[in-house]
Amino acid sequence: MATPVPVLRLPKGPDPNSRGFDPNSPRFIALCRTSIPTSAAAESDPQQLQEEQHARSVLRERFLRCLLAMSNKKVRFHMHEKVNVEATFGASDIDVLNFQVSDLHTPIGVQKEALIRSQDVISFTFDV
Amino acid sequence: MAMRQTPLTCSGHTRPVVDLAFSGITPYGYFLISACKDGKPMLRQGDTGDWIGTFLGHKGAVWGATLNTDATKAATAAADFTAKVWDAVSGDEVLSLAHKHIVKSVNFTQDSNCLLTGGNDKLLRIYDLSKPDAAPQEIAGHSSAIKKSLWCNNDSQILSAAEDKTVRLWDSRSMEEVKTLTFDTSVSSMEYLADGEILVITYGKTIAFYNALSLDLIKTVEAPAPINSASLHPEKDFFVAGGDDFKLYKFDYSTKEELESYKGHFGPVHCVRFSPDGELYASGSEDGTLRLWQTAVGKTYGLWKCVLPGPGNREL
Repeated sequence: MATPVPVLRLPKGPDPNSRGFDPNSPRFIALCRTSIPTSAAAESDPQQLQEEQHARSVLRERFLRCLLAMSNKKVRFHMHEKVNVEATFGASDIDVLNFQVSDLHTPIGVQKEALIRSQDVISFTFDV
Repeated sequence: MAMRQTPLTCSGHTRPVVDLAFSGITPYGYFLISACKDGKPMLRQGDTGDWIGTFLGHKGAVWGATLNTDATKAATAAADFTAKVWDAVSGDEVLSLAHKHIVKSVNFTQDSNCLLTGGNDKLLRIYDLSKPDAAPQEIAGHSSAIKKSLWCNNDSQILSAAEDKTVRLWDSRSMEEVKTLTFDTSVSSMEYLADGEILVITYGKTIAFYNALSLDLIKTVEAPAPINSASLHPEKDFFVAGGDDFKLYKFDYSTKEELESYKGHFGPVHCVRFSPDGELYASGSEDGTLRLWQTAVGKTYGLWKCVLPGPGNREL
């Protein structure tokens, strides 16, 4: 009677909460070039590097504060194919792939709850 | 003591797995990418099947997926009329290449500088990844949708298989057709082994082996059921095949003898490939899973742990 080959464990499945690519894995740490264009260049001027990093931090902080300020406000989304819709903003997911909105006004009616794909959005505006 | 094959099931996809590819061997091991109709291709550690990440961005079924040799880049072909290039370390989308129809196949050159795509618009396209805004070179000739396209002969030539029941060899510089093979039915899969210049083609119940340079037939082997995909072991001693009867078959390449067959999948097998070290092979199925199978059943490798023979057999 043949015995099945024993296994240590089963292969790990996907994490339901993230898209993976663990930034703490040895491969990521070794291979992921920094996304700052200046520092990715062969010779980098430390002064320029610092300026660029500062600018990036400012922009990022501004963007995050913008998302916070938008919460429960009416936002107009300008999307591809000349689509403009208005909705009440809920939240963004961690990777900024989707925006959760309520009362989305579309040409074919009002959607109580919806997810808008962020890659479909060109820009959005709201009144602070 | 006879050992029975224990396939390792990789779950996560929610629809049929239609394509898979291994990277080469890197300092961090080797990797596996799977294309799925759920639109979310996944990267896994090749020897264990552990999920590493999911490439998010496609808006339709992903029909083809590939990795470059050192697994730093991935490319995918999808029903949303795009082929995408990804950073396979961070999972970020690097490039989206618009096409005029469903894209079915993607393949990097050895230096990862060029990407070959093929799909339902019947054209082969060559993209220079260092000039992503430049228009791709286009090769026309097939009269139906292209199912698979790949670089061969040190990237100087291109092989393509289409629904027009032909497999064509092209010169990638002159973009001219060098040779055509015609079949009675359309080819279900194609695999190219650079080492040895062998082309593995499947159609109907047949697995055929050709010289990739001359397209001369080496041999054909008949399987018990219609075959969707086959893969030749890097050492050319075995090949494996899977198809519509849900089973995986293992054959001796020299004698053409069927050595083993394995049940496990709950749906037709769409793709099967040997790992770069030949120690295992992966299969993707209509049932939405990938399974990893040992080449040498009972050997300690990856997650498989052999039991040492003798009295006082310890539980692992």
